[in-house]
Amino acid sequence: MFSFRYVLRETGQNLWRNLLLAVATVITVGVSLAMFGGFLLFQRAVDSATARWEDGVEFIVWMNADVGSVEDAGIRNQLDESPGVLDWQYVDRLASYEEFRAFFEDTPEVLDIATEQEIPPYYRVVPVDPDPDVVEELGDQFKGRPGVRTVTFAGDVIRDVQNLSDRAGRVLFIGSIVLLAASTLLILNTLAVAIGNRRTEIEIMRLVGATKAFIRIPFMLEGLVQGLLGAAVAMTSNALLRNYVIDQFSDADGLRLLAGFKVDDAAMFQVNLLVLVIAVGVAVVGSYLAVAMHIND
Amino acid sequence: MIKMEKVTKVFKGDVVALRDVTIDIGKGEFVFLVGPSGSGKSTFIRLLNREEVPEHGRIFVAGRDIGGLSSWRVPYLRRNIGYVFQDYKLLQKKTVAENVAFALEAIGKGPHVIKRQVPAILELVGLSRKVDRFPYELSGGEQQRVSIARAFVNRPMILLADEPTGNLDPTTSVGIMRLLERINETGTTVLMATHDSSIVDSMRQRVVELDRGMVVRDQARGVYE
Repeated sequence: MFSFRYVLRETGQNLWRNLLLAVATVITVGVSLAMFGGFLLFQRAVDSATARWEDGVEFIVWMNADVGSVEDAGIRNQLDESPGVLDWQYVDRLASYEEFRAFFEDTPEVLDIATEQEIPPYYRVVPVDPDPDVVEELGDQFKGRPGVRTVTFAGDVIRDVQNLSDRAGRVLFIGSIVLLAASTLLILNTLAVAIGNRRTEIEIMRLVGATKAFIRIPFMLEGLVQGLLGAAVAMTSNALLRNYVIDQFSDADGLRLLAGFKVDDAAMFQVNLLVLVIAVGVAVVGSYLAVAMHIND
Repeated sequence: MIKMEKVTKVFKGDVVALRDVTIDIGKGEFVFLVGPSGSGKSTFIRLLNREEVPEHGRIFVAGRDIGGLSSWRVPYLRRNIGYVFQDYKLLQKKTVAENVAFALEAIGKGPHVIKRQVPAILELVGLSRKVDRFPYELSGGEQQRVSIARAFVNRPMILLADEPTGNLDPTTSVGIMRLLERINETGTTVLMATHDSSIVDSMRQRVVELDRGMVVRDQARGVYE
């Protein structure tokens, strides 16, 4: 039988008694999770900006918005028959319009002036040889063809952004894993101190017949609260990162490359959910280890 | 109420704390456990509430073999056994009433039970006027009475006391013994480990003497030596 009020009171008192240590733990967990969340947001933003250029796509053949079926078939034939083309993917007008909407969801004034009929379909092309000269020569074969509006190339900048993203992401990922391990140990140590401070109470509880769960749950809850507060710090950091850093990139005049460098609401929700799950995981592991190591049966 | 059959307890390094102990203590008895330091008195008590488990032999409490209890049932065994410490082990940041209530809270008793039982037990131990005092505001004898109240508030069948007068002067010790006698008169079995010969001699209760882990004397209405 549990007294909910008792558990809450004991948890609150534990946190209050070790306030400075608890604050240090919350900050460490928060910074670790913020780094992890930042890494994920950065990846999502880069993915968003370079989505069209993934899977080896080196150039895109943009069709006119009012392209006819005969002209379209001509381009398909050329793609199929070209020995330099390894693979290609057609993005029809509807899918292209969805991409466009996702791209400019935060800019309603742009969305308002464009209709589905104005958005062109396109072909994403994967060449056999990714050498820039070969790709350019291959892409040029489509320029000026009936129905073709323009041809755009991935170019070195896109590839550099992707490479930079991969490397920075790895560093951030490894750093956040190390910090998350440190957070787990810090929660463990904070609870070990709390358990040490309450050694007499624990001994009395054991001897009067308190169950193992009754003794352990306030400590586990204390660890969980620290983890959740850390998650709140990280989520706040994520929101600031998205609104004041990532969105600034996408709004920057002249940085067309970064026009799609953004994180949509769904991605933000996923990242925050993952941060929350990891915070709970870190808290549960840290507090379980603490009570298992420091409270005798 | 308490029965040991050929119980042997060995600690690390082959230190034999109890050797082949067989004893039977009936319901409502008052028993002194005497013997020199290291004779096994504390181990004897710790075995009864399953803080230790014996290497050999069987221990029965209220007819139940506690050696076979699973770990999750041990707390329920302990709810039937009160424990009084030599050094009181009171929580310094809790008042007298809160210290006693803590024993009930820890086993999940609700506020209505606590409100009814805590004042009653504090009345029994003579501390009803000091319910809001903190332990550091009490004398040693008063602190030990709080400790006894905490051990008895759940009305256990057995009360174990490990040197409860060890830190008290003789006069105060007499008061504590009177209190334990009153508790014993309610039908609770009291087992008390002690070095205090004058108390044992004056009470003339059953005396079990241990020496190097063995029962060397079991005497009804006995004396210390």
